[in-house]
Amino acid sequence: MAQPETAPPQMAPAPVPAPVTPAPGVRIDGLTVVYKTSAGELPAVRDVSLTLEPGSITGIVGESGSGKSTLALSLLNAVQPPGRIAAGSVEIDGLGDVVGLAGERLRKARGAHIGYVFQAAQNSLNPLKTVGKQLLDLGRSHDVDDLRGLVREAKELLGRMGLDGARVLDSHQHELSGGMRQRVGIMLALVLNAHLVVLDEPTTALDMITQANILKIVREVHAERGLTTLVITHDIGVVAEVADRLAVMYGGRLVEQGPTREVLGAPRHPYTRGLIQAIPRLVGDIDEARALPGRPPTLATVPERGCVFRERCALRMDICETDDPAALADGPRIVACHAVGAKERT
Amino acid sequence: MSATVIPETSGGGLSTASAMRRNFWRGVWRVMRRKPSRLAGAVILVGFVFMAVFGPMFYPDNLPGDADAITRPPSWEHWFGTDPQGRDVLALVITGSRYVLLSAAVTALITVVFGTGLGLFSGFKRGRWDTVLMRVTDMKLTIPGLPLLLVLATVWKFGSPLQMGLVLGLLGWGGVARAVRAQTLSLRERGFIEAARGLGLSTGHIIGKELLPSMAPYIAMNMLIAVTGAVYAQVGLFFLGVLPYESNNWGVMLNLAVFQAGAMITPYALGYLLAPLLAILLLTLGIVLVVDAMDEIFNPRLREE
Amino acid sequence: MITATGITKTFKQRGGVLAGREVHALRGVDFSIAKGGAASFIGESGCGKTTLGRIIAGLESYDGGEIAIAGTPMTPLRPKQRQPHFRKIQMIHQDPYSALNPTRTIHQTLQAPLALRARQTGRSKQWMEERAAEVLSLVGLDPGSVLSRYPHQLSGGMRQRVVIARALTVDPEMLVADEAVSMIDVSLRLGILALLKDLRERLGVAVLFITHDVATARYIGDDGELFVIYRGQVVERGPVDTVIADPVHPYTQSLLSAIPVLHGLEEPGEQPVVPLESLDESQADAGCLFARRCPFRDERCESELPLLQVTDGVPQEHACFHPRSRSVIARPLSGV
Repeated sequence: MAQPETAPPQMAPAPVPAPVTPAPGVRIDGLTVVYKTSAGELPAVRDVSLTLEPGSITGIVGESGSGKSTLALSLLNAVQPPGRIAAGSVEIDGLGDVVGLAGERLRKARGAHIGYVFQAAQNSLNPLKTVGKQLLDLGRSHDVDDLRGLVREAKELLGRMGLDGARVLDSHQHELSGGMRQRVGIMLALVLNAHLVVLDEPTTALDMITQANILKIVREVHAERGLTTLVITHDIGVVAEVADRLAVMYGGRLVEQGPTREVLGAPRHPYTRGLIQAIPRLVGDIDEARALPGRPPTLATVPERGCVFRERCALRMDICETDDPAALADGPRIVACHAVGAKERT
Repeated sequence: MSATVIPETSGGGLSTASAMRRNFWRGVWRVMRRKPSRLAGAVILVGFVFMAVFGPMFYPDNLPGDADAITRPPSWEHWFGTDPQGRDVLALVITGSRYVLLSAAVTALITVVFGTGLGLFSGFKRGRWDTVLMRVTDMKLTIPGLPLLLVLATVWKFGSPLQMGLVLGLLGWGGVARAVRAQTLSLRERGFIEAARGLGLSTGHIIGKELLPSMAPYIAMNMLIAVTGAVYAQVGLFFLGVLPYESNNWGVMLNLAVFQAGAMITPYALGYLLAPLLAILLLTLGIVLVVDAMDEIFNPRLREE
Repeated sequence: MITATGITKTFKQRGGVLAGREVHALRGVDFSIAKGGAASFIGESGCGKTTLGRIIAGLESYDGGEIAIAGTPMTPLRPKQRQPHFRKIQMIHQDPYSALNPTRTIHQTLQAPLALRARQTGRSKQWMEERAAEVLSLVGLDPGSVLSRYPHQLSGGMRQRVVIARALTVDPEMLVADEAVSMIDVSLRLGILALLKDLRERLGVAVLFITHDVATARYIGDDGELFVIYRGQVVERGPVDTVIADPVHPYTQSLLSAIPVLHGLEEPGEQPVVPLESLDESQADAGCLFARRCPFRDERCESELPLLQVTDGVPQEHACFHPRSRSVIARPLSGV
């Protein structure tokens, strides 16, 4: 908001002197994304408002069909047809409202401003080209003049993540392990000096030890480069490990958000509570773990009116059938639940 | 224990075989209706089958020629004109369709039975059998079809459509066998095949009930494509004139239209030339349009939605 | 119910630069499970745990060692003779999407093995229908609404339940569950785990649980044994809670240290072990298999292979020259 328009020359990345730009803040407001189906346009993301503070790591947790990946794509304005952003705005510092961007400006913004590490990084690499070639392609498509500098920067990043940069750049995808590919993905997201990074399921399909290493790298690189980071995952553990702030999505709605430790320590929304209770733990009475009844809704079965979670909710009331609970703030915490809201008022 | 709550659905439990079959045909109808082009294709195919089965019954064995109306252009009386012997071209196309379609059907049957059988066996057994059968297939695939047919035609007259279909079929199964084998190899690694083996189900069950239905769209498509190939091949042979003009046949018509009636130089014989061409074109079009629906017909997911 | 001794399996690499190189998937694995018992194997991908599961379920051959099912050794038998024995051990695959034939309804899927059984025991069609409904009820599904459906009409969790129901049609004595919940939605996972646990208790079905998630292994069978497997070798073995609370092998400690800490509910363990990441897959086989990544290795570890053994003062078996208990797992915060 402070700088709604940035002049194009400034947007071109200058890899060598890497000016220390402050981490951008992101304000998502009333975002609704719909998908066209045979049953009409159905909302995958409904009226979501979320603020990513500059320099923070935010984690979005959700099951399949919760809309978390669609939300992440909206940040790049990259929702593919038959989906489209139907309402709302995504304000990114230094870029303005991304929803209004299109064409060349949008393409340049991706990569240069927003780095995106795709789900299962192995699929986002071209199997026929070496990593180095793909790096150069990326540089050229963003009009980087100093390709040597770009390679140097890439090697430095890879070295930072514990890899032999020169060797990795010379490798094809199949010569790299899952953890190495994930690091390459992070390198490609950061090498153009993006300060807003989105990681979609960064550790799915990785082994436990590799996962721990990647999460450590995410945390460290985040701090060193001054990033604003968004992590999307189905695994509460991943978020608990890296995120300052946690947002829980269900059926296209953000049902609860707040500082990670507070949400995990004292969850308020019945879904968050159920989710945490369903995690088997390493110590204590194993039978304390309780399964959540019912199953998550799909695009087609999300109720049109009322609370999206009511089918599985123990605290369900009459009003849940008819009214969508508003997201009410209480200090740093925001919860969208009639039952919780009622308790607070009394 | 914590059971997943399942919403009640109405009409569940209907699971007899006849109900399933009814559901299948209802699904097929839904798939066909989804695109008008598919319906058109089906109508064309049914029309051709009807023509081949019943068409010749409406005409005498030897079509009467009208000596006063030789090689006439299309008219109300003769929609596609007449041939050099004064016979109605439309009648020729209709009576000729039986030979063409019958031999094509035989070809398709042999191609599919042979190709699918060998492909399934090879892919499922793997090992030595696979190697041997695939070498045979490779060898067969290297035999050039047309020259061989030309040679065969000098010793064999192909008077019956069954003979023609048999020869074309024996020449054509190689591609299908290879394709089916590749499919089998990939399907047999799937969890449900492994589960079937673990449950001790017989090989017959696994091949017949688990593998085959998954490959049905594939096989059906190959069969329809084999029909097209067979039609082109035999019409081509007759057109080249390497086979005797014994029967009413679209290929013979084309040959006569070009070399006898002079369709290339005189417009009077244009109908004679165009009628069989149009028939081949329509038949191919019908097949292509129907092939488009195969995937959805045999995939329950696409069928139901 | 089942006793396996010294199971080995070696794969030959085919094609590529590494052609002909041998990969030791399993290097002499011993275990046994009593009727209704449980054993869990944990390890990273490629450690051999999946191969072990497939061998135990009779889906793959083994090169050495012996498997005895209900007292009958399998090695002297011909493949055909082994089949009825291995049928008592059913595999639950990781992916419930590929484990069900998309062209067949749930009814058809369940009827095939039931028909086989009905033929063998001379039972009626009526029995088949009843049994199909019964196994579906056992796994918590409503037969009326599920039987006529195709797999694509069911959610991942429901499909996995159908897969378990299908396994139950042959009255198995053991289920091999290989990462059986890793592809299921988070909120539904515990339901499937609870089902497996329930089957153990109600039907006396033993469970061989293969996973990378130690906590789920604990949920399925905290009364059973936990096996930690690394590059085909069992490196630590003992009662589940003992291994979790007092691991002695550095690899076990690394695995447990890698489990994310639920900050706000837990605090990190006091002595986490961070292993070196294995970037070189073609490690030499001399010495301890974990030596290259082990932060505590010494010269002996690099030349001599430690075998699974019991030593003084350590309650569980381990394959380490320097067993030392370390407190690595996260502790619950007091007052939560």
